Amino acid sequence: MEAYDYADLKLLEEKNNFYKKLLFQSPDLIFQFTISLEGKLHFPFLSKSVITHFDLTPDEKNSDAFSVLKSKILPEDYVGFLNSIEESRAFLRNWSHEYRARLPVKGLRWYKATATVEQSPNGSVNFFGKVTDVTDYKAQELKLKLSEQRFHFALEASSEGIWDLDVRTQKVFYSSQSMKMLQFEAKDTIDSIDMWDDRVHPMDKEKYLVDIQLHINNKTPYYENAQRVLTNSGEYKWILSRGKIIERDSKNRPLRIIGTHTDISGQKEKEQELMQTLEIVGAQNSRLLNFAHIVSHNLRSHSGNIEMLLDIIDEEEEQEMIDESFGHLRSSSNALTQTIDHLKELVEIQTELIHKRENLNLNKYLGKTLDILAEEINKNKVVIKNSISHEETITFNPAYLESVLLNFTSNAIKYSHPDRPPVISYSITTNHTQKILKITDNGLGINLEKHGKKLFGMYKTFHKNQDSRGIGLFITKNQIEAMGGTVAVKSQVGKGTTFKIYFNE
Amino acid sequence: MSKFKDVFVVDDDKVFHFIIKKLFTKNNIEIIPSFYVNGLEAIEKIKEKIRLGVNLPDLILLDINMPIMDGWQFLDEFRQTREANPDEQTVIYLVSSSDSQSDINKAKEYQDQIQDYFFKPMTLEDLKKIF
Repeated sequence: MEAYDYADLKLLEEKNNFYKKLLFQSPDLIFQFTISLEGKLHFPFLSKSVITHFDLTPDEKNSDAFSVLKSKILPEDYVGFLNSIEESRAFLRNWSHEYRARLPVKGLRWYKATATVEQSPNGSVNFFGKVTDVTDYKAQELKLKLSEQRFHFALEASSEGIWDLDVRTQKVFYSSQSMKMLQFEAKDTIDSIDMWDDRVHPMDKEKYLVDIQLHINNKTPYYENAQRVLTNSGEYKWILSRGKIIERDSKNRPLRIIGTHTDISGQKEKEQELMQTLEIVGAQNSRLLNFAHIVSHNLRSHSGNIEMLLDIIDEEEEQEMIDESFGHLRSSSNALTQTIDHLKELVEIQTELIHKRENLNLNKYLGKTLDILAEEINKNKVVIKNSISHEETITFNPAYLESVLLNFTSNAIKYSHPDRPPVISYSITTNHTQKILKITDNGLGINLEKHGKKLFGMYKTFHKNQDSRGIGLFITKNQIEAMGGTVAVKSQVGKGTTFKIYFNE
Repeated sequence: MSKFKDVFVVDDDKVFHFIIKKLFTKNNIEIIPSFYVNGLEAIEKIKEKIRLGVNLPDLILLDINMPIMDGWQFLDEFRQTREANPDEQTVIYLVSSSDSQSDINKAKEYQDQIQDYFFKPMTLEDLKKIF
């Protein structure tokens, strides 16, 4: 028999008490259960807290452990529970399992049990471990899972992209919609703010940085900026980026900003179309207003003359004077008719809603024009240089094309330079949406600084000269614009003039 | 009945020249005006007069809208000529069919140079105001 020193025994007893206290009085639910070789299960040890927590009666404590477990564990979880024990027993692997139990007072609870598994020399297997009530944690986990699912669905279903910037690391999360806007796949890793910033159009960058700074400085309740961003395919898209700082540090510096991306390219395109339409309408309006003044001016001057001439005829006795007055009356009447014809022509362009368009051979129409002007061309020894190919066609209204070619050509002859034979050149070039007809002369040229604004505006027709340039150009411009085209002019006084007519194909 | 001796009518409308002539004779204004069809013709005549050292016209009826040199450009040119000959007195009336606000406003800018602005057709009252 071994002899113990009293002091040792004393120490041992103290230690024992400590462990007893630890085991029996600790709030942790500590247990030991043993599975015998025959497959019987019993609890050699249960901490006090286990007994109270699970409301175990003294009978239950000593009865068959399986029936106790079966009475507590939720039926759906019971088989899984047994399987996990069996697995750990068979492989002597540490045990960890989550399950639900229904208790008389506490109701349905989630538990997590963990245990160390050891085999004793007699072949039975011991589980030493603890049970934790994880009901609250499970509820939180479930809530989180639900909200994550909702958020994920919202991200996928929304047409808006989401971004989430961690200011300290400069890392950004971009939702798949944001990535899609820039034509990136979800697998492409776009996760730094620089990668976005570098794609913002240079012209939009300054305002973008200013807008975000305004929000950082608390000047705006949220950040908002419309910007062009370069997509993966090399084209720009208009994106409305909005955001809000959701976390700041103690010095009020932003830590986290969350925001959205909306693709507003379609909207911007429409906006631009609208602006262009407004511009055209505005220009047309001001020309029409001007036209109204000119009509009023010219009509007044002719009708005034006619009125005065009639007075003269009324009172005049000398036949010669009367005859002369009738001559003037006739020319005033002719001028009046011409003014009204111009007016009619213009109103027709403005009101004709459906402008007839045809595929026209440009050279055929140019030939027609030169035939009409043959006498003028011969008289003035005009040199015509035509580099337009015989196959060249444009989509235009036939009557308008005749009028356009006739106007520009007759102007070029009319305003030729007295010191040299007139040369008129015709050529055509194409950009991706338009054909551009260039008509160049070596004539007097126009001082565009002085008259440029008025050139197509008919101011020049104020004078009563029969062959004034303005009305023709005004009508021509209206015809071109009615077909969706534009006209531009370049000129140098004393050198010549080039008109460029842009035909929309 | 005329207080003017040398009258210029600057207008590109030949019919207007004829009407003015008739208006003058009908109202016993015994002057035969000199007619010019644009500002340039008139200003060149004036410059020639200055070169020759003869008197400038004492009355000009000036149209606004004319080819080559319009009424406004004529007034600008004439102002310079006048500055060189401060003793000369020339009365200028604008006679135009334009009732556009921009022309009326512009006439105000030239009010130191022009006496009045008449709308065509000229009336007997207009003539009485001048003579």
